[in-house]
Amino acid sequence: MADKIKLFVNGVEVEVEAGKNLIDAVGAVGIEIPHLCYHPALGADGNCRMCLVGIEDGRPPLVPACKTPAMAGMKVLLDAAHIKKIQHDVMELELINHPTDCPVCDQAGECKLQDYYMAFDQAESRMNVPQVVKGKKMDFGAGVVHDQERCVVCGRCVRFCRQITKTGELGIINRTDDARVNIFPGRPLSNRYAGNVVDLCPVGAMTSRDFRFKQRVWFLKKAPGICHGCAKGCNITIDHNREKYKDDIIYRFRPRLNEQVNGYFICDAGRLSYKAENEGRLTEARLGNKARPIDDVLAACTREIERAEKIALVLSPNCSLEQMAAVQALAEKLGAFLSGYSDGYIKPGDGDGYLIQDDKAANRAGLGLLGIDCSREAFESAVQQAQLLINFNNDLTRSYKESDLKKLLQGTKVIAVSSHDTPGTALADLAIPVASYSEYAGSVVNCDNILQSFAKGLSKNNDLADICAIAVQLGSPLGSPKERFALLQQSISALKDLEPDKIPAQGLNLNDSEAANVTA
Amino acid sequence: MQVKILSAKFDIKDANKIKVAKKHGAYSTLDKVFSMPPEDVIELVKNSGLRGRGGAGFPAGVKWSFLPKNTGKPVYLAVNSDESEPATFKDRYILVKDPHMMIEGIIICSYAIGSHDTYIYIRGEYTTQVKVLQAAIDEAYKAGYLGDKVAGRDFKLNVTVHRGAGAYVCGEETALLESIEGKKGQPRSKPPFPAVAGLYGCPTIINNVQSIASLPFIIAKGAEAYRAYGTEKSPGTHLFGISGHVEKPGMYELPLGLPLLEVIDKVAGGVWKGRKLKGVIPGGSSTPVLLPEEAKTVTLDYESMAAHKTMFGSGGIVVLDETVDIVHLVKNLIDFYHHESCGQCTPCREGLGWMLKIVKKILRGDGSMADVNLLRELCDNIEMKTVCVLSAACTMPVRSYLDKFRHEFEAYVAKNDSSAAEAK
Repeated sequence: MADKIKLFVNGVEVEVEAGKNLIDAVGAVGIEIPHLCYHPALGADGNCRMCLVGIEDGRPPLVPACKTPAMAGMKVLLDAAHIKKIQHDVMELELINHPTDCPVCDQAGECKLQDYYMAFDQAESRMNVPQVVKGKKMDFGAGVVHDQERCVVCGRCVRFCRQITKTGELGIINRTDDARVNIFPGRPLSNRYAGNVVDLCPVGAMTSRDFRFKQRVWFLKKAPGICHGCAKGCNITIDHNREKYKDDIIYRFRPRLNEQVNGYFICDAGRLSYKAENEGRLTEARLGNKARPIDDVLAACTREIERAEKIALVLSPNCSLEQMAAVQALAEKLGAFLSGYSDGYIKPGDGDGYLIQDDKAANRAGLGLLGIDCSREAFESAVQQAQLLINFNNDLTRSYKESDLKKLLQGTKVIAVSSHDTPGTALADLAIPVASYSEYAGSVVNCDNILQSFAKGLSKNNDLADICAIAVQLGSPLGSPKERFALLQQSISALKDLEPDKIPAQGLNLNDSEAANVTA
Repeated sequence: MQVKILSAKFDIKDANKIKVAKKHGAYSTLDKVFSMPPEDVIELVKNSGLRGRGGAGFPAGVKWSFLPKNTGKPVYLAVNSDESEPATFKDRYILVKDPHMMIEGIIICSYAIGSHDTYIYIRGEYTTQVKVLQAAIDEAYKAGYLGDKVAGRDFKLNVTVHRGAGAYVCGEETALLESIEGKKGQPRSKPPFPAVAGLYGCPTIINNVQSIASLPFIIAKGAEAYRAYGTEKSPGTHLFGISGHVEKPGMYELPLGLPLLEVIDKVAGGVWKGRKLKGVIPGGSSTPVLLPEEAKTVTLDYESMAAHKTMFGSGGIVVLDETVDIVHLVKNLIDFYHHESCGQCTPCREGLGWMLKIVKKILRGDGSMADVNLLRELCDNIEMKTVCVLSAACTMPVRSYLDKFRHEFEAYVAKNDSSAAEAK
């Protein structure tokens, strides 16, 4: 825990964390100092001048809060008339050359200029001379479209590419009110995190080609989630909306701050992985290749289970811990072999040492914690001996060529419990649709051994069952979340004395807990 | 009135050559300097009262004493030869006429502050000056005044000339450092000040050419000899560039503290063509204008200028005769600062362009009184809200013109029929 210091804001004493700048220190106790260029992940630049605050008896009496460390006893003036006037004046100057095209701007509704105009300006424009004309809808590459006129030249995007990705594609060229963000000719954004500049942009200058003009942001419901694109488990906000007479659709993923996992950012692949939640889904239960009511298919499954002498089960490394527990209990009950074989989910060399991991599965660590065998040999021999394979959402076409897979499954009936209609699902004799990760609650353990829980993000019109529920219908004895959590507590020592709802929002670091649990 | 301290060798043919310069005393102070402990050199310069000649007038010796001790980092000296303030043309004389005086000053300063690397940041347009200066530096290296053993002493000193690329803002000391580091010339937020974290994050002293060139005289003759010139608080001499509507424009070395009007009349031959005086820009375009009656009482030193609500600045005096159109002048002025704004801080980046458009509108005859008032208000709204003082260098003089010559702006507005109708 950081040291606390006391200082005064507008004459009122507040206790804040030491070692932070004024924006972060007093921001943490709910006092907002307006700022455009400062971002905690990128540091202070001091160019927007929105965060100028007064320091009573201070030298100098006027300082940029982003560059000023919070000091004990400091007397910060925010609501003094001269500070309010500065905020108003700077807002006026920010806006004189800004096209007021909010009605067609994607940022409207989450725009700092709009917010600050309402908070600090609210004056009519006095701009009665022609505005500066700059470039519009410039293709910066990597799905980023730039509008130089909307830009407030805060340089967040430039600093992101220099400090975080260290690729430096963006720069501010020219001087004076001709200063503008640009790329070098023929050298577009080419890094795997470029989409973050859209989030970082405090105004509508950086827009996402993918999201442009799709939704007004105030219609979007925001649900916290965990990205399942790789083993990092980046925290995301799932922005979704159910338009009238339509289904609930995800429009974008945005990064959600978690200092312990992903910080402020996510990769572009993860950002666009929302599409797979909307498209290519298995929405109907199938018998052979014909759609059938789910109850009929479940009954058929039960018959197959009864008929089979030997059964093999395979789990996706994307399944939640709870799903894994339910399926593990099912395997035990059926006396079946349970495999987590999923080498195809690993793309060796793809990771970058920052957020992107080689392993494209969200919960491989969970398979390990529950002691589930992941070897290819064991999986193949179990399948070859079994008359029935129940596949819980493991996309085997990632690990096998389709012809090899067909060969392997020869003589084995397959029940596919799938969220997606993949070629692998098409090979199955029976198929049961299930919810995907944005539609159920659960927990996953990431590559750094951090256990993170997430809630159900959205409900589709045809709200599909979770793998847990299907496992129960197929005979798993763990009927309730409580029972499933109890099983997890047996396998994961860190959960022993924890209630499910007591898992910290930042995630539970199992490395720490294991160390703490070691008895001398 | 004129004196010959800094300009002692300016009239000597080939004084930029080391042979000639040495014959007239160049590098003669080094024996004395190296016999003194560095602290004593700093003390001597402090006692001389030498103030920074770049425009701000901060005491040079005091600046040197801000250097933190024993940081384990190298100390750098940067000589600001960017001389880009409009109406200023003093340093170029030193660079061309007597570069060895400056090199000698660099050795003195480097010894005092314990620096072994000097960067001379020279404005890119000074092509002749760069050639002459570089030739002088090469000579100094050859003669053993620069390099591994300065004047045979165990003191290493390297001097590098770094050419600017034509940005006014690079005369601002931290923008100058950024430019030397190869970055876009944009001023840094202070603190930290360059004395603590300057060039490449190391302690750095930045002095103007004329400040550095003043050192050999102070070392040779002592603080009292320097203080024999000028006033108590503004001691010494200064190279003044007098331009504008005078009979004899030019560069003149004068002791500080002389009455401004007397200098214009006796040194520069008075307002030309027998015309009346309208105003005087006392120290480069950034300094607020003085009316004739103010010019009567002001003297050429930091204190008197401050008392007259203007600044001593860079010694670039511009005399305006009665024919000057102040609104045109203001347009030119804003045009310059707008063009030179680095574009970093919002108020300066956006505001100066707005001011320029407004004054152009007034000049076109499309302006209203509201525009004049807005222009005046913007001066207050922009000034001192930025990282550096470039915006203030524009708004301070513009405010002075608007306050002192408001009737000229109103006259333009009166020509605008629609605005007259508006007023009714």
